[in-house]
Amino acid sequence: MTPLLVVWAGLPFLNDPSPGVLRSKRAARNLDCERYSAQTGSERYPGAIRPARARGDYVERDAVMCAERLMRPGLREARDEAILTELEPLSRDIVTKAVSLRTDLADRTWLVETYYPSGEVSSKISFATKNALMGQGLAVSDRVPVLGVGDVGVITRMDPDEAYPTACLRYAATGTLREGDALLAVVSRDARETILHGGLCVDGRWTWIP
Amino acid sequence: MIAVLASLALAGPIEDAQRVELDRARAEIAGEVHLSAFDLIDELVYGWKTDPVFESSTPVVLAGVSVPVGLGTGMQALVENHIAAVLAENPTSNVQLVHCPSCTAVVVHSGPEGTVVSRGIDNPAVLAELGGATGKHALFVDLEAEGSWLVLRARITQLTPDLPIVWSHTLATSAATPALLRASDQLKSADEARAEYLAALRSRGPLVIPVRLSVRTYARPDGGNGTPPPPFLWLQTGAELAPTDARAWTSSLMIGGAFIPQAYQGLMGQARVSRLLTGRVRSVTRPDLYGFVGASVMTVWGPATSSFQVDPLNADDIVAAVQGDGPRSTWGTLQLGLDLRIGNRIGVGTFLETLPALRRSQNMGDYIRVLGIGFQGFGTEVTACF
Repeated sequence: MTPLLVVWAGLPFLNDPSPGVLRSKRAARNLDCERYSAQTGSERYPGAIRPARARGDYVERDAVMCAERLMRPGLREARDEAILTELEPLSRDIVTKAVSLRTDLADRTWLVETYYPSGEVSSKISFATKNALMGQGLAVSDRVPVLGVGDVGVITRMDPDEAYPTACLRYAATGTLREGDALLAVVSRDARETILHGGLCVDGRWTWIP
Repeated sequence: MIAVLASLALAGPIEDAQRVELDRARAEIAGEVHLSAFDLIDELVYGWKTDPVFESSTPVVLAGVSVPVGLGTGMQALVENHIAAVLAENPTSNVQLVHCPSCTAVVVHSGPEGTVVSRGIDNPAVLAELGGATGKHALFVDLEAEGSWLVLRARITQLTPDLPIVWSHTLATSAATPALLRASDQLKSADEARAEYLAALRSRGPLVIPVRLSVRTYARPDGGNGTPPPPFLWLQTGAELAPTDARAWTSSLMIGGAFIPQAYQGLMGQARVSRLLTGRVRSVTRPDLYGFVGASVMTVWGPATSSFQVDPLNADDIVAAVQGDGPRSTWGTLQLGLDLRIGNRIGVGTFLETLPALRRSQNMGDYIRVLGIGFQGFGTEVTACF
């Protein structure tokens, strides 16, 4: 693992992270890069980047700091990799939208349910979403709403646009989702997409988060 | 049909090889990230010490530890062990790990609402019926590789029927950040650890005093007529200066002496410029390799120094050297070598040396010729820095 790569703006040919003669496309895709000013870079990476001189530099300098991704391409399913790489912003984004969409639910206990093909990734999405909800200062529970076998048998044969509202209705009807609860569902709707959708189930009514 | 069978027959070994390669890559990554994972756990427990979740020591069940998808259960066991070890070393965190087999076991509960299969932790009502750990707390820890970041998420849930989450936290560290390697009984915050790291970098100062013991040997002449000089043992000291804390470039100026009774004595002066080859900044945790070029001037005298001349050594020269003080020879050399430095205290090096004034000497040959330059000397050295 080469964790760090510094590219000076003035000498882009030495350690250029873009694909070219010295770096393959595959290797370039495996880099996460961020541009810093010389001052910020020297604070974040002391020793690797020289800070600006007290009276300023003769040329304006900046640096691109690149780090290799921890997991090499091909070690995980492409879709899982895309979701997991952006897990923190994705979950935080859904929570922020849900909370701002329904400010009246601030006093409720929030439950989280994830619908994703892989159980392992599902639990990670739920974990991140619960932590993001806690970060908003909300009351969150580890309870999971459950449906009976008969309900599951019917709902899984429905079109997704119908299935989620029906499941929400059944959660409320069976009492597994209580009056003071709000269920935030994180859903992967299509096997080809690399984003997650959010839905709210409150008092038996389902709402997609835009 | 035949084509399908053939493709299956061919696919087997290739898939096996790919699987082995994937497992090897996963094990390598797990080995690389586990120290960072330990750092995040240390940071988590340090947070509990400085800002405890519970007012007094509270039993907590380690309910779940998950590692990055694809890195397997070996890393999971390592992480679990580290959590237990750090918590045991830090009782003031007020998190007391307890064993609860019925919490993690899968339980089947049939009631009027139906049959529910779940872990005990996920169904505290069943735990209560079993006389288990209801009312206790459960700790969940998740580690995930998100791009170049390793992210740790933790939450503590109260094991009551409502399963409220009472505490949660998210921590992240970049792949570019070196592991802090903190001792588990002396936890520090990331800021304090960083300050210590910087202090360690800066406390080295720009100037060090090296003391070096080196041995030089000289190649036998190609024709076999001459007599090569004996190995020379030198003790040197001087000053080594680096322009920045990074110590990517260093230069040194040293003087030295050689003294073997009845054989030779000598004095030397040497200057070197070294360049760090393994990275841009000198590491405080792993060895660093420098490449160097240098020049020196040597003067030697004594019975064993007769070979430092261009003409072949004969019996008269040897007799004259033994009877008197022997000849005095002075020459200049150029060196090219590698120096492995460990912790800014110890160095081990090796070098090739060319003696331009003696390149036509019939008493020594070349170990190697590079771009028309013959290297007659080869040396190894051990350095201690103060």
